[in-house]
Amino acid sequence: MSAISETRTPARTAAIGWDVGAIVKFVAVTVIALVVISPLFLLVVASLKPDRFQILADMGSFRAFWVSNPSLDNYRNVATFSGALPFGRYLLNSLVILFCTVLGGIFINSMAAFVLAWGRLPGRAIILTAFIALYIVPQESIVLPLLTIVNKAGLSDTFAAQILPWMASPLYIFLIYQFFIQIPRDVYDAATVDGASPFRIYWSVFLPISGPVLATVAILLGIETWNQYLWPLMVTNTDNARPISVGIASFFGHDSVYWNSAMAASVMMMAPVLIFYLAFQRWFVSSFISSAVKG
Amino acid sequence: MLLPAVILVTIFLLAPFLSSFRIALTNERLIPRPVPPRFVGLGNFQQILTDHDFWRALWNVARFTIMVLPVQCGFALAIALLLNSKLPFRNFFRGLFFLPAITSMVVVCVIWATLFQYPTGPFNQILGFLSFGMAEPIDWLGDPNWAMPSIVLLSAWQAYGFQMIVYLAGLQGIPETLYEAAELDGANRWQRFWNVTMPGLRQTHIFVLIITTIQAFKLFTQVNILTQGGPRGTTDTVVHYMFTAGFVDQRLGLASAVAILLFFIVLVVSIVQRFVVKDRS
Amino acid sequence: MNTVLGKRLLSVLGTAAALSVTSLGLSVAQAAELKVMFQGDPYEVTIITDVAKRFEAANPGTTVQLINTPHDAYNEKVGAAVSAGSLPDIMQLDAPFLANYVWSGFLQPIGGVIDKPLLDDMTASNISQGTYPIDKQLYAIGLTDSTVALYGSRKQLEALNIRIPKSVDDAWTKDEFETVLKTLAAQPGTKWPIDLFRSYGTKTEWITYAYEPMLVSMGCDVIDRTSWKATGTLDGAACVAAATEMQNWVKQGWVVPQSAGGNQFYAEGRPAALAWGGHWFYAEAKAQMGDDVVVMPLPKFGEKGASPNGTWIWAVTKTASDPAEAGKFLSFMLQDPAYREQYKEHAGFPGLKSFAAASPLYAPGGAMAVAFEQASKSAVPRPPHPAYPTITLAFQNAMNNIFDGADAQEELSKAAKKIDADIEDNDGYAPFGKVE
Repeated sequence: MSAISETRTPARTAAIGWDVGAIVKFVAVTVIALVVISPLFLLVVASLKPDRFQILADMGSFRAFWVSNPSLDNYRNVATFSGALPFGRYLLNSLVILFCTVLGGIFINSMAAFVLAWGRLPGRAIILTAFIALYIVPQESIVLPLLTIVNKAGLSDTFAAQILPWMASPLYIFLIYQFFIQIPRDVYDAATVDGASPFRIYWSVFLPISGPVLATVAILLGIETWNQYLWPLMVTNTDNARPISVGIASFFGHDSVYWNSAMAASVMMMAPVLIFYLAFQRWFVSSFISSAVKG
Repeated sequence: MLLPAVILVTIFLLAPFLSSFRIALTNERLIPRPVPPRFVGLGNFQQILTDHDFWRALWNVARFTIMVLPVQCGFALAIALLLNSKLPFRNFFRGLFFLPAITSMVVVCVIWATLFQYPTGPFNQILGFLSFGMAEPIDWLGDPNWAMPSIVLLSAWQAYGFQMIVYLAGLQGIPETLYEAAELDGANRWQRFWNVTMPGLRQTHIFVLIITTIQAFKLFTQVNILTQGGPRGTTDTVVHYMFTAGFVDQRLGLASAVAILLFFIVLVVSIVQRFVVKDRS
Repeated sequence: MNTVLGKRLLSVLGTAAALSVTSLGLSVAQAAELKVMFQGDPYEVTIITDVAKRFEAANPGTTVQLINTPHDAYNEKVGAAVSAGSLPDIMQLDAPFLANYVWSGFLQPIGGVIDKPLLDDMTASNISQGTYPIDKQLYAIGLTDSTVALYGSRKQLEALNIRIPKSVDDAWTKDEFETVLKTLAAQPGTKWPIDLFRSYGTKTEWITYAYEPMLVSMGCDVIDRTSWKATGTLDGAACVAAATEMQNWVKQGWVVPQSAGGNQFYAEGRPAALAWGGHWFYAEAKAQMGDDVVVMPLPKFGEKGASPNGTWIWAVTKTASDPAEAGKFLSFMLQDPAYREQYKEHAGFPGLKSFAAASPLYAPGGAMAVAFEQASKSAVPRPPHPAYPTITLAFQNAMNNIFDGADAQEELSKAAKKIDADIEDNDGYAPFGKVE
């Protein structure tokens, strides 16, 4: 996997015209989108049915997609749950874990990717391959030894136990690496000539032009963190650091499922990540590389 | 600069994984027992490699991978191209198409179990409607022939957002000037796609191919929730086999050995992929 | 209530981190502190949190720390706690795993620390789910238990002149049961005569829990309960015949398939006529069908009837810092009127006679009275053996495959071999299997 170092023509400002049949395309996209997300209507519809037995009775037919007396009771119940499960606290915990993991993850992974792509380190290819290979290891197979390690470190039932293990990720190092090696050699060389240190080059040359890939990492790592289930389930004992994904699991009892609350909570759980995603996807604009080369 | 990542990965990923090498050589149990665990050498590996169920699970994930790769990645690329082009309410659509990816797998399975329901679920109703009542309802998750394709469809639906967003980011790296140049040369849209877009996404393709393959080989959650490997083992996967051995049957030693075998099998697949992809450049 | 709870949790936070690293053997309790590990849905968590608060109020100086664990990872948590030496004082456990835990050596008998009247109040089924077969001692207790009953529509059964059994003693016989299935299969509106809840799959305990009694009633078992060998029993002629019989029901199209969901008994049009459902199913069915739901005892396939039992029950760990205090808490909780009231509201299946008498649903004349009668007449615990995790896994896979058309003899032999191999691998789980 060698770095692509082809020189690119400087960007000009003209846009490419794709307007032909714009309306046809818009209609087509709308139809595809509706078909694709239609299964999710079921989730929203079920969350508006306050009677869990009714949800059960309607499952497995088109009635699951229809609610005759929509009610927000389920949302109200979850939000103000009068019982022993503080969903507000769980939500807060999840947000803390999300932000710490994503923030740390972006820097740690991009620094590693930078060194692997451009550093003067011997055996870079081997290290990269080793990283990717470690991505193969399924989480289910390491949770138990990991639990022992975390317990020994005294991190059981803490935020750190849910943040530290997943910040550095072979997957995202690989992703950012693939992006970094596309950056033309000139960019790196120009900075070296100026006498900048590697960290400086990373910080003030590479990071600023990596918007799309960093946004991608933020979004994907964010979702992954948000939906983590098995690990937080095992590592949290109290409500201290328990995230919302585990909180929702409580609705699935050993002999009865509180579908009404579970569905409402699931919809509520999706909202923050959706906002998070919409915030970051705005970084997907224009060609950062070409604008960098332009100068 | 490499150090933070190396340290974290070593402590939280490499070390636990290495410890499974030690466990794999013993008959250690999930819940410690009064009979101390003993060294069994390669006994666990021998037991797995002579177990027909393991090979079936491996064959199943291979089938799954081959089916899900083109479906999921192809759809993701198509949607990414659409969402990267000029489109009214583009951000709105980008959000819409990403919704399945942020839905937790448990919820996805509940929804799709309803869609697949036999004999009167929505898919079967649509099938009956489209065939004017001619087609018999299909037991999507209960028929050995349909179970895996059904899991493929569900998985691709839930996960395509991952590849979509990676492609979307990759598309930002292709300078618009290349398209302009191609257009000046008189290339039509199709030619621009093959000669500008596809080569420009080369690094992204490599990433998507390798990562999607690895993810596919790790198939577990949806199978565990919906079919538990059935019917008749047609959707059993290596990770499900491992999970069952470790967490249900409580044989940690055996489960660790499965994890190690899976690691080396997928490693070989990845290396072959890298080799093939590299050859073409 | 929330603010008090918040404070309680905050007070718990400080000790929470220490809990996992401190070896219990070394920790010296200053004031009495009880650590209680349990699982439950949000309503149970609320109930237990409240009763813990009342216990603290009634016993100044004692604090109760609740460790609420989703039941998905309960076994893993137990394993981790045992390895780390950080077991709580009191732990809830799923009844069939009792033998495994006791044999592994981390539970202690509770007969001496629980209030005597409470022990006398336990149903036969409740005692059996908490008893370890080797020393015949009681290791766990609960307010509740569970069972499976046969549900039908009174209107439909009466219209077809099908006899509705009123007590366990006059349950349907095998022939009667199969005639009923045949009759129901012929009804135009009925898609399937019975729902055996195959939809629960093999991820839950359902297959072993709900189907093993059929085998027992048909004269066989998953494992011989004296020699503790599966070969010769599970793969014997009686079991193969029983499993083939059940497979035949599926082949006839009498059983709701796995992918049809668990709501066919009461869904629109009532596609399934009967339901072989847990006691919790009554509330579901009643919500849609009202008083038309009729509860019947499980059929007597052979000479005697058999019915499932067992639920999540409470035990005291061997490392408990103060077993007497732990017993005091359990006695307090199980006799707490508000605790009982809340379980009654959620239709908990009684494990105590006095609780049954006070639950209109299960008391004589109640809709579920006949289901409760099973607890004293036909309840059979799942094999109380430390190999249970392997037993249930092997059996569930075998039965599921048989239902899906596999050869019964082949599948049961495979399962029996797996079970015996595990027992051998643990040196026979001595003293199990030793001739007394």
